[in-house]
Amino acid sequence: MIYLDHAATTPIRDAVFEAMLPYLRERFGNASEPHAHGRAARAGLDTARASVASALGAGADDVVFTGSGTEADNLAVAGRLAGGGRVVASAIEHPAVRERLLAYAASGGDVAWAPVTGDGLVDVAVLESLVQSDDALVCVMGANNVTGVVQPIAEVAAICQARRVPLHVDAVQAATALALDVAALGDRATVAIAAHKLGGPKGVGALVGRGVRTLAPTVYGGGQERGIRPGTEDVAGAVGLATALATLPNGERRAALRDRLESRLALPVAGANAPRLPGHACLLTGLRGDTLVRLLDDAGFSVAASSACAAGDAAPSHVLAAMGIDDRAARGALRVTVGVATTEHEVDRFLAAFADVHARLAAAARAVG
Amino acid sequence: MIDLALAGAIDRPDGDGRAGGGRCDDAVRFTVAIDDGRIVAIRFGADACPSTTAAAAWLATAASGVTLLDAARLGTAAAQAVVGGARACVEVAVDALHAAIGDAFCRGASVPGDGRLAVAMSGGVDSAVALVEAHAAGLAPVGVTLALWIDPLAPDASRACCAPDAVRRARDACHALGVPHVGLDLRDAFRERVVDPFIAAYAAGATPNPCTRCNGDFRLHELVAFADRIGARRLRTGHYARVDELDGVAVIGRGVDETKDQSYMLARVPADVVARLDLPLAGRTKADTRAVAVAHGLAAAGVAESQEVCFLGGGQLRPFLRRAGVRASPGAVEDERGRRLGGHDGSIGFTPGQRRGVGVSADEPLYVLRTDVARNAVVVAPRSRLGTRQVWLDEVRLSVPQERYDAVLRHRAAPISATLHDGMLTLERDAFAVAPGQTAALYAGDLVVGSAMIASAPIG
Repeated sequence: MIYLDHAATTPIRDAVFEAMLPYLRERFGNASEPHAHGRAARAGLDTARASVASALGAGADDVVFTGSGTEADNLAVAGRLAGGGRVVASAIEHPAVRERLLAYAASGGDVAWAPVTGDGLVDVAVLESLVQSDDALVCVMGANNVTGVVQPIAEVAAICQARRVPLHVDAVQAATALALDVAALGDRATVAIAAHKLGGPKGVGALVGRGVRTLAPTVYGGGQERGIRPGTEDVAGAVGLATALATLPNGERRAALRDRLESRLALPVAGANAPRLPGHACLLTGLRGDTLVRLLDDAGFSVAASSACAAGDAAPSHVLAAMGIDDRAARGALRVTVGVATTEHEVDRFLAAFADVHARLAAAARAVG
Repeated sequence: MIDLALAGAIDRPDGDGRAGGGRCDDAVRFTVAIDDGRIVAIRFGADACPSTTAAAAWLATAASGVTLLDAARLGTAAAQAVVGGARACVEVAVDALHAAIGDAFCRGASVPGDGRLAVAMSGGVDSAVALVEAHAAGLAPVGVTLALWIDPLAPDASRACCAPDAVRRARDACHALGVPHVGLDLRDAFRERVVDPFIAAYAAGATPNPCTRCNGDFRLHELVAFADRIGARRLRTGHYARVDELDGVAVIGRGVDETKDQSYMLARVPADVVARLDLPLAGRTKADTRAVAVAHGLAAAGVAESQEVCFLGGGQLRPFLRRAGVRASPGAVEDERGRRLGGHDGSIGFTPGQRRGVGVSADEPLYVLRTDVARNAVVVAPRSRLGTRQVWLDEVRLSVPQERYDAVLRHRAAPISATLHDGMLTLERDAFAVAPGQTAALYAGDLVVGSAMIASAPIG
């Protein structure tokens, strides 16, 4: 089985696993206890926090560990909107942000959605016209999970800072390849990340940035994580996240493999003209993406569709729709994402299998045409 | 595992079926080549979700090399058990395969062999029970359902007995027993041979009975023709009527359940077709049938009765006729001397004996006597004027001619003793509100020995 769905999740890397192990065994203590067991765990947590802060250009006090990227996004949005207020968000946010905002809007909250260009980039000029100085929050993701298109966060941050509006960046996908400088995003900015996209474990994420200081807690408990996200600390998870972030290879290899894949396939690519994450290819196959996923799975390859059947829950991708891609083309979208351990041989085997499957499914589709 | 080896289409196929295009926008097509009733080549096309595509691929493999009737045993439950997925997804592929099988039969394919029993399935409870009992008795039943044209704008098209849901229900009832089911798409022929004459009759001011015409001239002929193609000597249906014999001629007789008796509806079925019928519900009441259905756990046990004019799909007659291009313009309601008593907004659809909708107040209640299409007038009269003893008949069919007949001039009307000479039916007592276009069923006791279409009823 060849895995080409690294945007969904990644295998844990050996270095990360090794770093975590002591905190699952001998250093298992509760980091909030003053005894030796607690102190040993606390030391690991503090080191992990400092490491994450350093990797993202934040202070150690500005790192809140969470149970997932989704939780970090929810905390950033709900913690900021506890007192109400208007929100401007990109039309292509991940469900972790989008669904939270849709719920906010359904309960009477004011949400404005900023459109994206045909290349999948948030339209900065429109965003600028939408953001008002008394807005409660702006949400623009760092890079899109469907297309891999990297968003113009520096420009968005400048708009937010000029209007003194807090910015939340869902960087769960972006952190797989981009260097992020949270300090540059403003005093009330937050950034969400998740370990499992980076070769770390599932079940741990973080919300990072000076903005965490002014968030209202969304759960209550024993005061851990400065009361913003209480609950006995997952030290092994925090160490895993810190290690994964600190040891992440750069994207050059992944970009080379992705370029090889796209050039050999010669299919339209969503967001082709925009800056994209290095391992990310969103192919517009002209066939049914969900059916290709199944056929490729049969052939031993794990890839992802962006949209399921029109009658199903995931239909059709709001991201591709926002880019002006029609439903039919969107249903053909196939997301192939290479990882840090993917080899050229694996990509070539995928290319051969894809050509075969695509040709046979095209014959089936032609017969009903 | 989705095996795409059979993906594609056969050039100049012997059967070609498509399905899909609903909410999910999936589309599936099967093409088959037939030799001596056997599927010697099959290809499928699919632009569909994984479940539908997987079902289509599996069905193509399963139907490869088998007879049309064995392929007709392949159903939704079997496909779903193999490929998984949602029922609605799998059903699209099953619909397409069955459309191809039905198309092959419509193009004249036949399956060698004999000893089978064709069972006409409507999707309702009566035919479901007729099937179950045939299966239990080891009669090698083969279910067949005709897909007939239904007004696409009807409010309730899915309740009509030949709507897609009903066809699927009939198919599922067969497949639950491992019985083959064939759906024949006769929508165009039905439209031409039953619906268009119905519309034309109304336009000419008559009150047609499409069911007697359909049974007598279309539906049962097609079903018997199908029985011939599968080597079935008999066609079983769920009608409440019986097959009897008089002077060596096969005739329809009344069923035991007087409230459900359908012998009138079968009155125009010719003797050669009657001779092929097997009507197991003859001695039953509807309550008996429902009890059997419940005892067998049949899904059809709770299905609502289908309405009388199936292709209206629960819709109203007048809007349907308007959509069909029958012009309705305001005209006069007048008495027999031509004096205007009031107005109507279209004379079409008024039937003799009708009182509702006449909209005229008078000293005594007035009923429709006749409509005068040429003058767009509805003629009304007191009830005493509606009686007649002479009725002109068209299209007379006599299977066993008699001296006297018990004439039934509309569905559920009481029989009146009568004689027939040169197309003129002379009644022993007055018949009220005789409507041109209705069927005159001619009984000898409780046996139907002839029939005709009522042309007109001379007054007085």
